[in-house]
Amino acid sequence: MVALARKTLIYEWRKFLPAALAVAFSGLLLLMMTALMFGIFSSAGVYVSRSGGDIWAGYPGTQTVELGRPIPRDTEMWLRMDPAVVQVEPFQWLDGDWRGPAERGSVSVFISGIDPNPNGLMFSHVLGPTDRALLNEPGAVIVDAADLSKLGLDIGGTAFLNGHRVKIVAAANGLRTLGGVNIVTSIATARTLVSDAAERDKVAYYIARLAPGANPDAVRDRLAPIATGHRFAVWTHDEFAYNAATYWMFETGAGLGFIFLSFVVFLVGVVITSQTLFAAVASSVREYAMLNALGAGIGALRRVILEQAFWVGTVGVIVGSVVSISLALLAHGQDVPISFNYIATIACGALVMAIALISGFLAVGAINHLEPANLLR
Amino acid sequence: MTALVADQITKSYTSGRVETPVLQGMSIALDERELALVLGPSGSGKSTLLAILSGLLKPDTGNVSALGEDLWKKSRADLEKFRLEHTGFVFQGFNLFPALTALEQVMLPLDYLGLPRHAVRNMALASLEEVGLASRAHLRPIELSGGEKQRIAIARALAKKPQFLFADEPTSALDSVNGKNVIDALHRVARVYGATVVCVSHDTRLAADADRIIHMADGRILSDVKQISASAPSRLQTAETKS
Repeated sequence: MVALARKTLIYEWRKFLPAALAVAFSGLLLLMMTALMFGIFSSAGVYVSRSGGDIWAGYPGTQTVELGRPIPRDTEMWLRMDPAVVQVEPFQWLDGDWRGPAERGSVSVFISGIDPNPNGLMFSHVLGPTDRALLNEPGAVIVDAADLSKLGLDIGGTAFLNGHRVKIVAAANGLRTLGGVNIVTSIATARTLVSDAAERDKVAYYIARLAPGANPDAVRDRLAPIATGHRFAVWTHDEFAYNAATYWMFETGAGLGFIFLSFVVFLVGVVITSQTLFAAVASSVREYAMLNALGAGIGALRRVILEQAFWVGTVGVIVGSVVSISLALLAHGQDVPISFNYIATIACGALVMAIALISGFLAVGAINHLEPANLLR
Repeated sequence: MTALVADQITKSYTSGRVETPVLQGMSIALDERELALVLGPSGSGKSTLLAILSGLLKPDTGNVSALGEDLWKKSRADLEKFRLEHTGFVFQGFNLFPALTALEQVMLPLDYLGLPRHAVRNMALASLEEVGLASRAHLRPIELSGGEKQRIAIARALAKKPQFLFADEPTSALDSVNGKNVIDALHRVARVYGATVVCVSHDTRLAADADRIIHMADGRILSDVKQISASAPSRLQTAETKS
């Protein structure tokens, strides 16, 4: 077969370029929205995803770290009694009120009290032994570098946190969370910041590390019956991170908003792409009519247009990917919270191809009422 | 032998409430190996007659029978198949795909016949040879003159050796030399392949080469004269001026 669709696309690329660009930018928009959403919601799971450990223990029914409540102190003992557990450390999480420079007023913050030991699990992916050692000084805190300006202070600056004087000893990258500034301090300092004296000895979570080769799911299943009787619950690391992400995505309505917005982008993409493709096809309608007069069936001509739509989609996906990668690099340099998820990226690619093919079906309308007899006028 | 018969065909166009009759009960029988020239002023109904005879336009009443088959009793798909197997067209506009070379323009309709690729290529090359454009096979329409484009269109129409060839004002955009080339090609299709060739025109220069001249006015046949044509055409590789 003469490759009419491809040869026409290449030769008359200017006609088809707008359609390919419409596809490319619909794809870009879909992908960036997805990346931004995953970026924002993965910061909801920062506490879990940036930390070591295999098992989390917390208050029963806790969906995400920010909803934690104090749990009994003997939880630590129950965890240690499991043969697979080799390390357990407490993690304190509480709300805080930050008063820095007078002109800033007060800032609502989240306080993370962690084990400052060099082999500590909490935030082990973000804070190295040097940073952790700095936290041994009473009142020392570490914040995300991107939050410094929000707090109105630089490294070495001091402020009042829940009425106690604290000092920023270091800044790190990767501590930003959803909804508030994350202030990391030692578990000892955090204890002094708890306002309710009765709760001062309790923490919200314990994190356990298992012996190499141990199956976290099996350990969780083993601990679950014990936990039920002692007012705590256990999750694997992955489970707890996943819970946090789905909680923010679906329980807050943000996920639904995202799906709705994706639908709008999809619709706009189809309308613009089909219109430009329609115009490109309509400009060749006399040639198609000639082929039909010579006996080429209308079905065969439709296939030519759909093939063109497929190639427009392919070019659109390639252009969209190149622009997306460039923008993603730019965004990473600017601390924009974007994150690419393998499945979501493939889903975006599939949606973009769907935009192109649906547009192709709509553009077929340009030859639906082909009248070769009109060539005789 | 009679190849194409139109029996009492009528056709009218409706514009708003006004109905304009174009063909008023017309009958005609055309033989194979015959180049019939339909002459007439604009609006005489000659293009409509061509569209109905060729299976592109359905008449309001009457029958068209080609190779013994009633065309307008066929479904759209069957009619397309009939045209694919038996009918070639040459229109006033060349209607060539800008992206394709001359060879590909001629190969394209042959592809739909489902022939092997090398057969399609050979038939297309032979057809280009026939119109004297084998050396231009690799050129796109933008690189060809008007006369060459029309000859490509003719090569496209006759590559499949059709039993019927319909031409609508094939020479109107061409100078006299190119016009002569085109009419020679049509004549040759009738003589060599035994096709029934119907050519609609108001170019009276063509009259000398036709086997039959049909004059039309107001949707009726005024005169229908068979003649011995003046020239028996040779191959078409005559010199050509760019138009």
